Amino acid sequence: MSKVKDIVQKNAFIWPVAGSLILYAATIVVMGRFNVAILSSCAKLCVFAMLLALGQMIVVTSGNGAIDLSQKYILTLAAYASCTFMETNVIFGLLIAIAIGALCGLLSSIINVYLQVPAMITTLATGYLFYSIILVVSSKWSSTPVRSFVNFVNGNILGINMMTLLCIVVAIFLWFLLYRTKYGHHLHAVGQKREAARLAGINVQKTVIIAFVINGALCGLAGALCAAYSGGANQDLGTTYFLPSVAAAFVGGTNAAGGKSSVVGVSIGAFMMTLMSTFLNAANFGVGVQKLIQGIFLVFLLVIAISDATKKK
Amino acid sequence: MKHKENQTPYIELSGIDKFFGITKALQNVNLGIYAGEVIGLIGPNGAGKSTLMKVLTGVLPPTNGTIKLEGKEVSSYNTKSAKETGIACAYQDLSLCTNLSVFENFAMLNVSHSMMAQPAWRKNARTQAKELLEQYFPGNGIDVSKEVDHLSLADKQVVEICKTLMTDNLKVLILDEPTSALSSDKAHQLHQIVEELSNKGVAVIYISHKLDEISIVADRIVVLRNGQNSGECDAKTVTQDELVTMMGGESREKTAKGEDTSKDKEIMVEINHLSDGLLNDINMVVRKGEILGISGLAGSGQPELLQEIFNARHHIGEETKNGVKINSTIAYVSGDRTKEGVFPLWDIKNNILIANLDRVKGKILIDKKKAAESAQTWYDKLKFRAEGIESNIMSLSGGNQQKALIARGIASEADIIILNDPTAGVDINTKNDIYDLLEEMKDEGKSVILYSTEDAEIEICDRAYIMHDGEITEELIGNDITVSNIVKASFKKVKKEKKEEKHKSVLSQVFSSRLTLPILTMLIIFAANVSFTPNLLSYIGLRMKINSTLPLIFAALGQMFIILCGDCDMGNGYSIGLANVMVGILLTGSPFVGFVGLLIFVAAYAGMAALIHLRSIPAIVVTLGAQFVWYGVALIICPTPGGNCPQWLSSFLKLQTPLIPFSIILAVIVGFLCWYLLNRCRYGMVMRGIGNNPNSVERSGWSFLVAKMVNYGIAGLLVVFAGMAYTSSSNGADANSSANFCMMSIATVILGGCEMSGGVVEPMGVVAAAVAMNLINSLLTAVKVDSNYQTAIIGIILIGVLGFKYIIRRREAAK
Repeated sequence: MSKVKDIVQKNAFIWPVAGSLILYAATIVVMGRFNVAILSSCAKLCVFAMLLALGQMIVVTSGNGAIDLSQKYILTLAAYASCTFMETNVIFGLLIAIAIGALCGLLSSIINVYLQVPAMITTLATGYLFYSIILVVSSKWSSTPVRSFVNFVNGNILGINMMTLLCIVVAIFLWFLLYRTKYGHHLHAVGQKREAARLAGINVQKTVIIAFVINGALCGLAGALCAAYSGGANQDLGTTYFLPSVAAAFVGGTNAAGGKSSVVGVSIGAFMMTLMSTFLNAANFGVGVQKLIQGIFLVFLLVIAISDATKKK
Repeated sequence: MKHKENQTPYIELSGIDKFFGITKALQNVNLGIYAGEVIGLIGPNGAGKSTLMKVLTGVLPPTNGTIKLEGKEVSSYNTKSAKETGIACAYQDLSLCTNLSVFENFAMLNVSHSMMAQPAWRKNARTQAKELLEQYFPGNGIDVSKEVDHLSLADKQVVEICKTLMTDNLKVLILDEPTSALSSDKAHQLHQIVEELSNKGVAVIYISHKLDEISIVADRIVVLRNGQNSGECDAKTVTQDELVTMMGGESREKTAKGEDTSKDKEIMVEINHLSDGLLNDINMVVRKGEILGISGLAGSGQPELLQEIFNARHHIGEETKNGVKINSTIAYVSGDRTKEGVFPLWDIKNNILIANLDRVKGKILIDKKKAAESAQTWYDKLKFRAEGIESNIMSLSGGNQQKALIARGIASEADIIILNDPTAGVDINTKNDIYDLLEEMKDEGKSVILYSTEDAEIEICDRAYIMHDGEITEELIGNDITVSNIVKASFKKVKKEKKEEKHKSVLSQVFSSRLTLPILTMLIIFAANVSFTPNLLSYIGLRMKINSTLPLIFAALGQMFIILCGDCDMGNGYSIGLANVMVGILLTGSPFVGFVGLLIFVAAYAGMAALIHLRSIPAIVVTLGAQFVWYGVALIICPTPGGNCPQWLSSFLKLQTPLIPFSIILAVIVGFLCWYLLNRCRYGMVMRGIGNNPNSVERSGWSFLVAKMVNYGIAGLLVVFAGMAYTSSSNGADANSSANFCMMSIATVILGGCEMSGGVVEPMGVVAAAVAMNLINSLLTAVKVDSNYQTAIIGIILIGVLGFKYIIRRREAAK
C-alpha cells in the first residue's frame, strides 16, 4: 500500500492521466462511437492553457505563495504585438511577442522582489497596468494575424499540429531546464525554503526574477499562437485560458507552497482540462451544468491530489 | 522562603533520565520543589536545564525516573496533568497574539465563552489587565489598549510573564531567562514579584545566566552539568567564583595541543570595529587551516556575527562598510535544520549537491552519473545511516540530516566554512564523526568557524573568541580553551550603556495609523472630484455615487474577513454573481426559496473553511476551484441575463433620509458593525487572533476550526449583501457581469490598510478605500483622462501604496 502511495507521490502526473482517461471514456460514451480525432484536436486546443500553466507552475514553484494573476493580460498584449510586428517579419514578430512577455514578467518580479509586495498583489496591479496598455494599443495596433503564420499554426507534420509539436518542444526544453540544470535545482531549493537556499549560497532574488521572466516569455509565446489560431487578437483574448491553466497547474502536481513541479503532469493537466470541455460540449449540457461539473470535478481532484502530497510532511 | 527540614516537596522529580537515542540529555537528576521556595537553576549551555523543564511541564516524558506530587507518585504525567498541578512557564519565544492589544491577550484566557455578552466586558477586562500589570509591575507604564506588536521587547516580556501569572491555581512558576530584555528596574520589580509569590506559597524556578541576580533572588541554587546534578547550595552564602567552579569543573580528556603555530598563517577573515544593533566593536581574524571557536552565553550575538561574515560573500577581497573582509569563498552550515537547513522535499543526494552543482555539471546539463557518484562518495565517507542516497532527507534522524548539511558545506569547496551550532540535538557518535571531519578540513587548509551552544565542544578548537552582550570578552588559545575558562569569560562584565526603552512620538503614531492612508486618499480624490463636478456635493449626486459603490463596499468587506485569516478569496467575483442571480431570480420569484438558497450559500462558504482547514489545502486553490461551482450554479439558475430586483430591496436602498443620503449612512453603519464585531465583541478577538497566532488562540481554549468557519461564514454573508446591492444597482441578474469584483475587492482591502498576511484589518479603512476606488474612475473621466488608462492608474496606486508602506517599515526597522 505504501509502495503505491510512493509511486503516486513521485509521479504527480498520475492524477491528470487518470482524469483524462475517465473523461475520454465518458466522451466516447456520450458520443456513442469511438473517436481518436478528439485526442488530436484536444492536443491542439490545449496548447494555450498548457503554456500558461507551465509558466504558472514555474512561478508557483519559486515559493512564498507566489502566483501570477497577470498572465491573461500578458498573453493578450503579446497577441497584439505579434499581429503588428509580424507584418514586418514573422520571426521578428514572434520574438517581439516573447520579449514583451518576458519584459512584463521582469517588471512584476522587480516589484515583488525589491519592494517586497506579495506576488499576488504585485501581479494584480501589474495586470491592471498591462490591461491599460492593451486598451491603448488595441486601437492603434493591428489585430489581424499574418497569413503565413496562420498557415504555420494550422499546419501539420505527420498528422500532428504544428502548435502541438512546438509546445512539446517547449515542454521538453522546460523539463531539461527544471530538472537537469543548475537553475532548475536552485528554483526548487528557493521554493522549498528561501532562507535555507540563501544560506546554501543561492542568489534567491535572481532565481525568483528569472522564474517570472520565463513565465512571461511563455505567456508571450502563447499570445502569438493564440492570435494566429483565433483569427486575431481581441481585448479579452486571454480570459478564457486563465482558469483552466491555473487549475491545470495545480492538478498537474505543482505544490502550491512551492518547491515541487511536474512538467509532464502540468502538460497533461492542461490536456485534461481541454478534454473536459470537449466532453461537456459533446454531452450537450447547458453552460451552467458544464461549469458546475467542471468545478466539482476539479475540487474533488484537488482534494485528493493535493492533500495526498501534503499529508506526508 | 526556605523550606523546612521535614517538609514534603510539592512536586518531586527523582532519578530522572532522558535519553534521545544514544544521547544522554539527563542522567539520574533529582529535583524537589517545595511550596514557596525560589530555586535558582544554573548550568553551562547544554547542561540539560531546558530538557529538565520540559520534563517538569510534561512536554517530554522521562526515559526513567519518578514524579511525585505531594508525596504520591504520578503514573502518567503529561502537559495536561502539569497544567492541573499548577505548573506554568513563561517562554522566551513569546506565546502572545501580537496583533491583539495587551488586555485582549489576557481576556482571551479568562473571558466567558457564553453567547450572552456581559455588559462592558472590555472595560472590565481593561481594568483587570491594568490592575494585574500594576500589581506585579507598579509604574510599568504599559498601555493595555496597545497592540502587543507595538510594545518594546521588554514590555512584551512583562506581558508574557503576567499572562503566565494568570494561570489558575498557580503552584510552580518557571521563569526561563526572564530578564534578558528587561532593564534593571523592571528586573528588580520581577524579583519582588518572585518574593511575593514565594510568600504566597508559590514555588518559583528561576533560570538565568546572570549569577549576581540568581544570588539575590533565589533561596537555593541547583547546578546542572552534563545532564547531571552538579551540586546544590545556599544562595545567600555561596560566592560567584564557587558557582563558576561548580559549573565548569574538570574538563573532559582531550588531545594536548601544540604551540599556536597559526600566527604567521594567511588571514582569511578579518573584522575591524564591527558594530550593529546587537554587536559592539568586534575585532577578530580567522586564519587558514585553523578551527576557530565562537562561544559565550546564548543570545550574546554569535549568530548575528556569523551572518555578518556570511553576508560579505559577494565582496571577496574587499572590506564591506561594516568592516568585514573575507579573502575567499564561504559556506554556511546551520544547526537549525528545519528552519534554515534541509530541503524537505528532496533526497540526500540533492540536499548535498545543491551548493556546488558546478562540479557535477557538464557544459549546461547536470551529469546524473557524476552527481550520483559525488553524492555516493559523501554518503560513504560520512557513514550515513539510511537506505541510500535517494532516501528522502526527512526520513533521516537529526544527526544524519546534519551530516548531509555538513557534507553540503564541504562539497561546496569553499575555503571558509561557518558552522552555526552544528551538533544541536545530535547523538554522540555523529558528534565525533563531525569533529573528525572538522579536523580533516583543517588539515586540508580550510578555515573553520564553529559556533556552539555547548561549551565543551569549543575545546576541539585551536582558538576561540568568547562573547558576552555583543562583545568579544576574551580570546582563548590552544590549551587555555577549557570549559572553566569559557564559563569564566562568558560571565565577564562588559561596559555597555543600559538598554533604553524607546517610546514613539504622537505624530508618528498618527502617521502610522492604518486609517490615515485610505481616508486621506478618499478625501483627496473626493475633493478633486468636487472641483471638477461641483454637482457631486448635492444630495442626489452623493446618493448616486455612494449607491454605486455599495456592492464594492460589501464585496471588499467580505474579502477582508477572509484575508483576516491569512487566506484570500479568488472566487468572490463569481460568488457575487451567484448571489446576484439568487436575489434577482429566486428571491424575486419566491422569497422563501431565495432565502433558503442564500442560507445554503453562506453555509457553503463556511464549508470551504472546513475543507481548507481539515484537508490543509491552500485557500487560494479551493476558492479558485469553487468559483466554477458558483458560476455553474448561477448559470443554471439564470442562463441569460434577466430577472429584476425585489421591490422591497430597491425601495429599502432608495430610502429617503434627511440631510445625508441613505447609502452613506448604510456604508458607515456596515463598516462600523464590522469594526464593532471585530474590535468590540469577545469573539472578535478570536477571529483576529487566528490570523496571527492560531496556537496561542487554541492554547487559550478556543477552536481554530470554528473561528475560521465563522470568518468565512461572515464573508459569505457579506457576499450576499454585495449581491443584493449589485442587483439593486443593475436592476437585474447576470451571472457574468460581476467577475471584476474579485480583483477590485483585493485591491480595496489592501488600500484600506489591511495586511495580506492576516490578522490585521481595518473595516472603516476598507469602506473609505472602496469609495476612493469608485471615485477614481469618475475623477479620471472628469479630467478627461482616456478611460483606457484608468485601470493602469488603479494598478499604480496599489503598487505605490504598498511600496510606500514597505519603505516606512524599513525606516522604522532601521531606527
